Amino acid sequence: MTESLIWWSIAIYLLIAIGIAIMSRQGPSESMSGYFLGNRQMNGFVSALSYSATTYSAFMMVGLAGLTYAGGVGALGFEIIYFAGVSLVAIFGPKFWAVGKKFGFVTPSEMLGHRYNSKHVAMAVSIASCIFLIPYSAVQLAGVGYLLQGITDGAITFTTGVVLATVIAIFFSYIAGIRSVMWTDSLQAIMMIVASTLVAFLVIQGLGGFGALFNTLATEHPQSLTVPGPGLFSFVTFLGLTIPWFFFSLSNPQVSQRLFMPSSLRSMRHMLIGFLVFGFIYTMVSVLWGFSALAAFPSLERADLATPTLLASEFVPPVLGVIVMIGIMAAAVSTIDSIMLTLASMVSRDVYANVKPNVSEKRQLLVGKFVVPVIALMALAFAELQLDLIAVLSVAASSGLVAMVPALIGAFYWKRGTSAGALASVVGTSAFVLLMYATGNSLLGLPAGVWGIVVASVLFVGVSLATKPHQASTDAFFTAISEELGKKRRPIADQANKRAAASL
Amino acid sequence: RIWLVWAVVLLSYLVPYTLLSGVALWYGSFLFWAVAGLVVIALNVFITKDFEEHSN
Repeated sequence: MTESLIWWSIAIYLLIAIGIAIMSRQGPSESMSGYFLGNRQMNGFVSALSYSATTYSAFMMVGLAGLTYAGGVGALGFEIIYFAGVSLVAIFGPKFWAVGKKFGFVTPSEMLGHRYNSKHVAMAVSIASCIFLIPYSAVQLAGVGYLLQGITDGAITFTTGVVLATVIAIFFSYIAGIRSVMWTDSLQAIMMIVASTLVAFLVIQGLGGFGALFNTLATEHPQSLTVPGPGLFSFVTFLGLTIPWFFFSLSNPQVSQRLFMPSSLRSMRHMLIGFLVFGFIYTMVSVLWGFSALAAFPSLERADLATPTLLASEFVPPVLGVIVMIGIMAAAVSTIDSIMLTLASMVSRDVYANVKPNVSEKRQLLVGKFVVPVIALMALAFAELQLDLIAVLSVAASSGLVAMVPALIGAFYWKRGTSAGALASVVGTSAFVLLMYATGNSLLGLPAGVWGIVVASVLFVGVSLATKPHQASTDAFFTAISEELGKKRRPIADQANKRAAASL
Repeated sequence: RIWLVWAVVLLSYLVPYTLLSGVALWYGSFLFWAVAGLVVIALNVFITKDFEEHSN
């Protein structure tokens, strides 16, 4: 892999991606809904690919393959439980979509603020999301830096890689807001699924086929095919990892905001099923990469070298290796630009507009556009500084964001939920998770990943029962859901008759 | 038209750590979790079928 081949490949990728981003524009977006939600008119196919690209960060190809290399088949179980958790979209998706359409919500935190009739709830959710997701983005950026530096033997420095990914993410966000992000996400998702599947196929063929690969694992690394396996996936660790990720589709605002965007429930269905098919293939490919690296290179110094070693091996043609490497960089960018846009919309809509009431939609959009690069530069600075605190916040992100889950479930299923309960749950659980990670992440032998959802639920239910709900906002919220979801599509014959009558 | 999905999740916790903990072959936990993933997709296709009937 020569340096010039890598730079030329990056240039070609950028040319195609920028072309797609520019073509995605539909005139200037003057509204928050237009810029951050694509005017709630996104089709199912692009939504599915973009949801996949946003969800599956650079972690999959590097982290999951490494996790499989180190811990064996438990890594597949971890991903499958996360994957099954996305089924929450099948029951919460229509409700999000219905209230979003009825009340014009732009962010999940705005929705919670409205449901509990409290701007403090909206602000708390927004600030907690920033605390956990900006460091998470920083670690993504650092991953790109290390990947480019490692694969080019230092020809592309860590800083060059990090700055490159940040600039691309800002650029994709700016061209047309969420529309350009979703279309460039789609390019990344297609490129990645094709290239990574091809790599898996070539490597497994090189190792003698699927049967030979698993025979090697069964004879030389039998523990890798069971749990707890080599010891990484004890049942408690498995619980601690999977519980927060099971709720990912609700707890992470950059994906729950996507539930406002489809043009119809039909599009939402296509988004969900498309994501599940994509995610299943991607998961199996990543796990097979990890297993292949274990069979071919059993004595690597560190597990996260599994993917770079595989890509640089004789099994993978250099051009394909470069395509996958750029795909991994693009995977990080596609996650970061979505997080940036979501956090910018939350800061503008739920913090700025609540601190300064009666501010115009145009002004909110201006603030949102200003916040995008500010968030990006914060992530860039954190990635460069490599502070221990940032690493802790990033690892705590999945557990910390679980703080929103009871308030979200209560918003749709428990009329007795109150703003005080939601606020106590979000603030209390976020603080509790941070404290646990700062003090060794173990309480009575269980990690924050297990305790987070318990503490959040106890706080939400306990404080709600001790306070009074706001009846009017609760009733309006539930009425909107039942009205919107009660609309049935008329049979085709009825529609034709109605059109004929209208033309008379 | 979800408890079936949660049942698959529960089995995904229990079976590999009990019944399959000694089966160090591809048709042990690897196959179990792969099939669980496919079942989740099939259940979502079934459960969301009535999204198609909703009018905008």
